[in-house]
Formats: sequence, C-alpha cells, structure tokens
Amino acid sequence: MGTMNNSSAPRLPPAGRRARSARARTNGRPGAQFDGYLWPGRPFPTAYDEMFDGDGVVRSPYRALYESIAGMDSADLTARAAALDRAMVDQGITFSLSGQERPLGLDLVPRVIPAAEWSKLERGVAQRVRALEAFLADIYGDAQILADGVLPRRLLTSCKHFHREAFGVNPPNGVRIHVAGVDLVRDEEGSFRVLEDNLRNPSGVSYVMENRRTMARVFPDLFAKHRVRPVGDYSTHLLRSLRAAAAPNVADPTVVVLTPGIHNSAYFEHSLLARQMGVELVEGRDLFCRDNIVYVRTTEGERAVDVIYRRIDDEFLDPVHFRPDSVLGVAGVLNAARAGNVVIANAVGNGIGDDKLIYTYVPEMVRYYLGEKPLLPNVDTYRCWLPDELDHVLRHLDELVIKPVEGSGGYGIVFGPTASQRELAALRRRIRTERRDWIAQPVVQLSTVPSKVEGKVAPRHVDLRPFAVNDGKDIFVLPGGLTRVALPEGSLMVNSSQGGGSKDTWVLAARSSSAERELASPALAETSTVDGLAVEQGPELSTEQQQQQQQQQSSQ
Amino acid sequence: MSEESWQIRVVHSTGYHYASPATQSYNEARLTPRSDRRQSVVATRIETTPATRAYRYTDYWGTVVTSFDLHAPHTEFTVLATSVVETNEATEPIRDASWRDLRSDAVIDEHTEYLETTKYTPRDRELASVARELRKGRDPTGTALAISQWVHDQLTYRPGSTGVHSTATDAWRAREGVCQDYVHVTLVMLRAIGIPARYVSGYLHTRPSAALGETVQGESHAWVDVWTGGWWAHDPTNAIGVGPRHVWVATGRDYADVAPLKGIFTGGAKSHLDVSVELTRLA
Repeated sequence: MGTMNNSSAPRLPPAGRRARSARARTNGRPGAQFDGYLWPGRPFPTAYDEMFDGDGVVRSPYRALYESIAGMDSADLTARAAALDRAMVDQGITFSLSGQERPLGLDLVPRVIPAAEWSKLERGVAQRVRALEAFLADIYGDAQILADGVLPRRLLTSCKHFHREAFGVNPPNGVRIHVAGVDLVRDEEGSFRVLEDNLRNPSGVSYVMENRRTMARVFPDLFAKHRVRPVGDYSTHLLRSLRAAAAPNVADPTVVVLTPGIHNSAYFEHSLLARQMGVELVEGRDLFCRDNIVYVRTTEGERAVDVIYRRIDDEFLDPVHFRPDSVLGVAGVLNAARAGNVVIANAVGNGIGDDKLIYTYVPEMVRYYLGEKPLLPNVDTYRCWLPDELDHVLRHLDELVIKPVEGSGGYGIVFGPTASQRELAALRRRIRTERRDWIAQPVVQLSTVPSKVEGKVAPRHVDLRPFAVNDGKDIFVLPGGLTRVALPEGSLMVNSSQGGGSKDTWVLAARSSSAERELASPALAETSTVDGLAVEQGPELSTEQQQQQQQQQSSQ
Repeated sequence: MSEESWQIRVVHSTGYHYASPATQSYNEARLTPRSDRRQSVVATRIETTPATRAYRYTDYWGTVVTSFDLHAPHTEFTVLATSVVETNEATEPIRDASWRDLRSDAVIDEHTEYLETTKYTPRDRELASVARELRKGRDPTGTALAISQWVHDQLTYRPGSTGVHSTATDAWRAREGVCQDYVHVTLVMLRAIGIPARYVSGYLHTRPSAALGETVQGESHAWVDVWTGGWWAHDPTNAIGVGPRHVWVATGRDYADVAPLKGIFTGGAKSHLDVSVELTRLA
C-alpha cells in the first residue's frame, strides 16, 4: 500500500481510451469496467478526473481503490450496488424529487481526498467561516464594512435575506454560523473553488454519516486498505457547539432540534441529529414563549429551552416578526433571543451570506476582517448589477452559466451553451430589468470521479459540500462532506433536486498521523441516548401546516 | 402665547376588545418618543391592562420598541402610552444639496433605503411625472416644499376613506385620505426624483391657541423627513413646517416600519379596536 513508485503505477488499459463498444465482453479482463472511461469523444473531456491523470495513470490516492474495482467482475459490481441501494432503502433515507420520495442514490465508488489536500481545504473553509462570522456580526451591528465602502450599502439593503428584525440580536458567544455548508467544485486544473456558501440551514450531513455506514457494511475490504477518517462523530461536535452557544450562566443548557415536521424532506436528518445528540426533536407547537423565555412542553410540565437548533426558514420562525400566518414557528422567539434568553442556531438573517452577489465580495471580507489572503478562490463571477460586467454577460450569454442570486437546488439556472435562442432572448430581457437578481459564471467543467453506470464505470461530475461547525473557539470541518454526483452523462447539475446521487467521501489520514480511522475498531458506535422526557404532542396538523412544512428550503 | 417651545403631555390609549377570550397575545409597541435636537423627552412610560412584563429594545431604525405578551385569557387589552415632551420652535428647511449632489453615488448609496419603492410607496407614473414638472426651476428643497403643498392641495382629508393597508396609489386614485396617505403620496413623489425621504410618525397638537392645562382630543399623526444635505421635516397634511406642536416618535421607509402597535393573538374571535390620543400643553 502506497509504496509503489510511479513507474509501477497502475494505468488505464488501452480499451479505456476507446469508445465503448456495445458488444464488448467485459467479464474476466481486469479493468474492463473502465472501458471507454477516457474516450476523447466524451462530454467535457478537459474536466479534471480525480482518478486518472491525462495519460491514464492512476493518481496515487486512488491506486488501491482502482485495483480493487478493476479486480471485481461485473456481476460482483452489480451485486454490491444492489446491496447499497437495499441498505439505503432499509435505513429509510429518501429525499423527495418532485414530490416523490426516493432514495438518494449512493454511488458505489467512493471519492478519495488525500490528507494534504484536505488540510488545505479545511483551513480554507474555516477561514471563510471566520470571515463570514465577522461580516454577519458587523452587518447586524454597526456595519463598519459599509461605512468603509468595501461593499456598497445598497447591495445589502436590497438583499431579500437581509433581516432588519435581526439587528441588535447578539448571541452570547458571538457565533451565528453554528453550521456552514460551503459548496466547492474543482476546476479543469484540479483546484478547489467555492461555488456558494450555505449559512442558513445547510442540509445533507445525514447522508454523509449514513453513506459511510452503508459503505462500511458493503465494502469492509476497501476500508481495510485505506486509512479513512471517520465522520460518525459529527453530532458530538454539533452538540458541543450548540451547548457552547448558550449563555454562560446556564450550567447545563437544554438544546432542542426544531423541525418543520414529518412532511419536510429533510425530516430524516432532523430526527437523526436529535437522536444522536440525545436532545428533543420538537415542532413549533411543542414550544412557546412567555416573557421572552422559550419553553418546551413535556409530560413533566414546561421546561426552559436555552438553544434551538432550528431547521425552519427565517420567514416561518416567528410570526410576530415574519410571516404572521406561519404555523411552524414560535411566536416571540426572536425577542427571546434578543433578550439573551435563548440562542437560535443558525442565527436569523444569515441568508445575506448566501446571496450570490454578496458571495463575490467574500474574498474582500477575508482581507478586510482577517487581514489574510483568501485560501480558497471563488468561481469567477460576473455581476449583472455592475454595468461593465452586465455588458460582458449580455455579449457572452451563450457561453456562460446564468444563475439567480438567491435560491438553491439548481432552480432557475440557465446553461448558456445549451439554451435555445428563445430562452436566451427571454433571459436577456429578464436580466436587464432584474439586474440585482442575476450573476453569471463561466461553465466550470466540474471534476469527474468514476461512478457506476449500468454495469460499467464512467466519469461523472461531482461537487463537494464540507460541513463546518463553529463552537466559538474552533471551527471543526467534518473530514469528508457530501459529494454530490450528476448521474446523467455530461450533466453538470449535481443538486439532488435535479436528480443527482451522492458518494461516500473519504478523507485519508496522513500516514504519520495518529488520527482515528474508520473501521479501526470493530463497531461503528451509534449513540442513541434519548433523554427520558417524551415531548407532549400538540394538536394535529392542518393542511396548511403540512404545506408550510414542505415549503421549507430543504434542499439548501 | 409663545410659539418657541412647548411642553406637551401625550396620552395614547389603545384598547382591544375580543368577542370571545383571546388566550395568548404577543405585541410590539412603537410609542416611545426619543430626544434629539428637535425635542427632549421629559418622561415616557407604557402600561398595559392586564399588566404585562414589558421588554424594551431599539430596532434597526432607531425606534424604541416595547414588547409584551399575555397568556391569561382576556377579552379586553389596553396599552397606555404616556409621554411628556419639550418641543422646539420650527426649524428652517435645509438647502445644502444640489440636484447634482443628490445624483452622486455616495448620496444614493447612503440613503438607498429612503429612495426605493416599498409596499406602501410603489412606483406611480402619474405622481412621478407631476414631481418632474414641479422640479423645473427649483432646487431640491424648493421642490420638496412644492410637492408637499401640491399633495396638500390635491387630496381631501377624510377619515375612514382609506384603510391601514392603502398604498399611495390607492390614496392618489381616491384623491382623499388621512395623514398616512398624504405622507405616502409625498414620499412616492420625492423618491421618484431622487430626493431621499422618510416617514415620520408622531403626534400633532391641533390647537395653536390652546391654554395651558387644556386637554384636546388628537390623533396619531405622520409627516415626512426630507434629506437635502441634512434631514428636515415638513407636514404635507397641513402644508406646514414641523414646529413646537409636533412630537415625533419613529422614522422609517413607510408606515410598516413605524406602526404604533403590531401583534398577533390566538383565540379571541373578532376584535375591535379603539384608540384615543389626548394632548395637553403643559408649558
């Protein structure tokens, strides 16, 4: 393991560079699964492949994995894939696609990130979170960055997620981004770039943990050949961060997870996190606020709540300040947070950091607040808001990807190269009238990782969402993260709402490190220490409630 | 009697009456005046019946907000705000900005929130074109005064003709309204020609000749703040400057930012509201 020098490095067999013939026999010949993998006629042939370099030589972090897969025959591959699917369905992990619940496909080829690369990413993500924390504190305080002209005031005041209601809410330990999901892509050179920041309710960490559990069951042999860093302790870090967020006078803070309810597509995740942390999973109707203190109704009476890990959008959180018709939230909770009696995690108003126009200023923020050089570059972005850049966008509309500044899940994105003239003309008109609402980026040919497609292995485009947890002292970045994969051939849309799958993401431990590794101990510990108090159920749901539960931007 | 400085007591009472008991209610009151160069607050307090534990904070717009919640079933709920305020004599409009200054990027960026349209102050082609007419041959300050006068002349003051949700466009179509509507129409026109302007809520003592200690029935009032190199106030409902009879409470982009009372309640079918404002000149 890992002692091979380059001359003996495995290499893609010649068949891997030819178009795959429909009649090719695949059984028996090692590496036959990879036939046609690097065929020059494939879509986006210049994308960075994470397993093979341009000459077909297997990159070193992937060598053991390549040999294992190349050594499997097609029947074995198919059987293991079926086992994976079964395991996912058994665990009840589904996501909703156009209203239908189905498993988020777990691809059987894991993605591998070597230790050195990860440590760079980890520092870059943490730096970004620190800068964005400083930005949020500033904006919802004296807004020095606007006074200094680093970023125009009107950019902020026109942001739909700038919540003036959150002005003056100062969390006791200063943390507003308890959990961040920073979406990264890898460009043609193989460099990681930030595509967007998710500081509201980033979801998907349950897939990271469940994907790992499933892979460990189906491929124990692969784990024996790699030093994969574990991801199962995420909830420990989350709980530590949430407890640290409580006011210092609270000796033993009560934490709850607030979910929109079972009709929300991320409910599985909400319940998993609550169970693993050993805290109550509650809905808005289980909580109430009196004299700026939040209580949970339990069978033993009411009990004060110190920290709410909420998975409800700002607009639904408090009918006193936001949508008065919300039946999911807790009336008065925002003022309770303002009074310092409860901590809302993530904080209200974080959405300004997710705005794709404000995103373009994050490198400036890193320099302004931290006095550091940004470690992770953004994807180059043209702002239709600025006249010069608008001109460029309108002249090159058919070469760019045009995205709405807000919104997630891939909705509203237009790929210039594949859009029809009509679509482009309509888009051009919209951009001109709604300049604040659009940005454009060059088509980034996202990196590819081998993925199982119909009994073969083919390159498919991926992104990566690492999860960062801030406890106020340290920013922990879960070694792994969610790799989403675009399964249709040539697709660059990895968002699950567009029909993507996911991959187990392996961050390898440095050879010298004493870091824990997955499957090093016989059992994958699963904590399930639900606190003895059962939540007293509120009244039954109305149709309106069910609709609001589904409306939450669960795909963030 | 002196026009220079008044001391005014404001007693603003809001009563909610529910046909069946409300079980829970959460409210926010923006009823507390603050001291600045135009007025100084001698005393101010908010009480509720039934009594509640009030929490006070300052919002984004700088307004003092009092929030309170009630969890006992109730059919009546009264919020009583009492303040004593010393006001100053009327100040002159500020003439420190030219049209060119108002077009500068720095001014636009600084006052962006007071230049944009809002729910109550949407774009209106007709009002904008009148505003452009009134601008001819005038500086920004002169234009603002002309717009205020024009709105005063065009609209008829008629309580009950518009509702709390009426926009500037609604009021303009009806050619009538109350102070809130006069202000919204004025804001639409000022913003349409690039003059930053904001909504001011407060009170007006309606009797210039009032005897000391005499109490008059009044109402909540509203007027505009205009920025032409500095903020100054004008009252389009009465087409007068803002002077010793005006007490201001809150400023914002439109009525929604300064609503005196906002809240939600559960239970309590059909509520009705009665509001009374009593103003007394004390000195």
